[in-house]
Amino acid sequence: MAKDRAQRDDYTTPLRRLFMGIVVLCLLGIFIVWRIDSPRVEKFRAQVVDSVVPSMEWAMVPVTAAVNLVRDFQSYQRLSEQNQELRSELRRMRAWKEAALQLEQENARLLDLNNVRLDPRLTYITGVVMADSGSPFRQSVLLNVGERDGIVDGWAAMDGIGLVGRISGVGPDTARAILLTDASSAIPATIQPSGQTALITGDNTPALAVDFLENRELVRPGDRVVTSGDGGVFPAGLLIGQIAADPGGRLRVRLSADFERLEFLRVLRFHSPSPIVDPGGIVGPSRPEAFLPPKEAADG
Amino acid sequence: MDKAASHLWLMRGLYLFLALSVMFFHLLPLNTQPGRWPFPDVLIVLTFAWVLRRPEFVPTLSIAVVMLVADLLLQRPPGLMAALVVVGAAYLRASAPGMRDIGFVSEWTSVGVVIAVIFALNRFVLSVLSVGLSGFGPVLVQVVLTIAAYPLVVGFSSALLGVRRPSAADVATVGVRS
Repeated sequence: MAKDRAQRDDYTTPLRRLFMGIVVLCLLGIFIVWRIDSPRVEKFRAQVVDSVVPSMEWAMVPVTAAVNLVRDFQSYQRLSEQNQELRSELRRMRAWKEAALQLEQENARLLDLNNVRLDPRLTYITGVVMADSGSPFRQSVLLNVGERDGIVDGWAAMDGIGLVGRISGVGPDTARAILLTDASSAIPATIQPSGQTALITGDNTPALAVDFLENRELVRPGDRVVTSGDGGVFPAGLLIGQIAADPGGRLRVRLSADFERLEFLRVLRFHSPSPIVDPGGIVGPSRPEAFLPPKEAADG
Repeated sequence: MDKAASHLWLMRGLYLFLALSVMFFHLLPLNTQPGRWPFPDVLIVLTFAWVLRRPEFVPTLSIAVVMLVADLLLQRPPGLMAALVVVGAAYLRASAPGMRDIGFVSEWTSVGVVIAVIFALNRFVLSVLSVGLSGFGPVLVQVVLTIAAYPLVVGFSSALLGVRRPSAADVATVGVRS
């Protein structure tokens, strides 16, 4: 019996080694292909995610809800405290609402006077967050809207208030939004009111870094950070957050969007403005008159 | 004999199911705030614990499939980590007979070394091919947590799932190694 097994091992071990070698080579091949032709493999990844994650959703939704329920339970204990806080906040908000309504009316009047045309194409699609990246080193979420809903790579994703990230990777029914906090995210931004431009980059921490700032003296903690629209990827003027200084004196951006609980995200439809290619009739040199065909000449 | 075969396939299926549920918990959108504590890589630990105890439950092909799917779903560079884990599992599979008698602490040490080598090689290859790397600190914490999770996973799988080294009696009755 022992001899029998030893004999079998003699045959199977090299075969097994060969098989393992083939498997490892295939895996390394996939990795090399990914390194060379990343977009295509990422597209494949988006399709795999698209087919796997929605089929898990029936289980994910109740588990997530249960965990959140337990978490919420702790806050129920201080319900009356919170109630009072909310009431006083609501009073303040009412005052702000009045102010905002008046300003809105004034704004509409002024826009009307100046005949301003707002970009009508800036509409949005709302998606639900299905899953996160699953890794502590990557910051992204998976939305339940995709190619089917007309989502395109590069569009901005916001929660109700602030910018959250951009779409990167679209499957038929799902789309991945890379969050601003991801290490690969960099957004050109303007810091108001000084108008300084900077690059807001993520580094896997809750507050973002401010890079390529021209004049640091003009920027103070509390300044608003909005997208500048440079590069034509994002529309201009989306709120990102507020400047804050960390204990070391470096500037950081505290995000306006609530990253602790991302549930619904708005994906803004945005088509970057078409570039201006010709100099136009007035500025450019006058070209010799074209020969008019006889029919048109007869008309005149 | 027939019962043994169905048990074998049941356990192979159980491995795939466990791997899928680990990925499921990774993907739950519970906290989208960055700076969370990196969690141990339970998939690798589970694979190695089973390879050392019952190599026939975790054939190379299912390890490769599980790790490749994990790479794809968890946003890692696809294929590299999977290849490293398959090689590591093959090394442990070959040295499993020798590890029967050396006691748990030495087994844990060698598994820890294999895990550390896997993470180091992964990082090395990524940096050679200039793929964007995450910070060194969190990865180190993850390696330490992963190695620390090994006894827990071993305890879980031997107490609840019955994945133990086959005793001499089992080997004699079954008589088949793979």
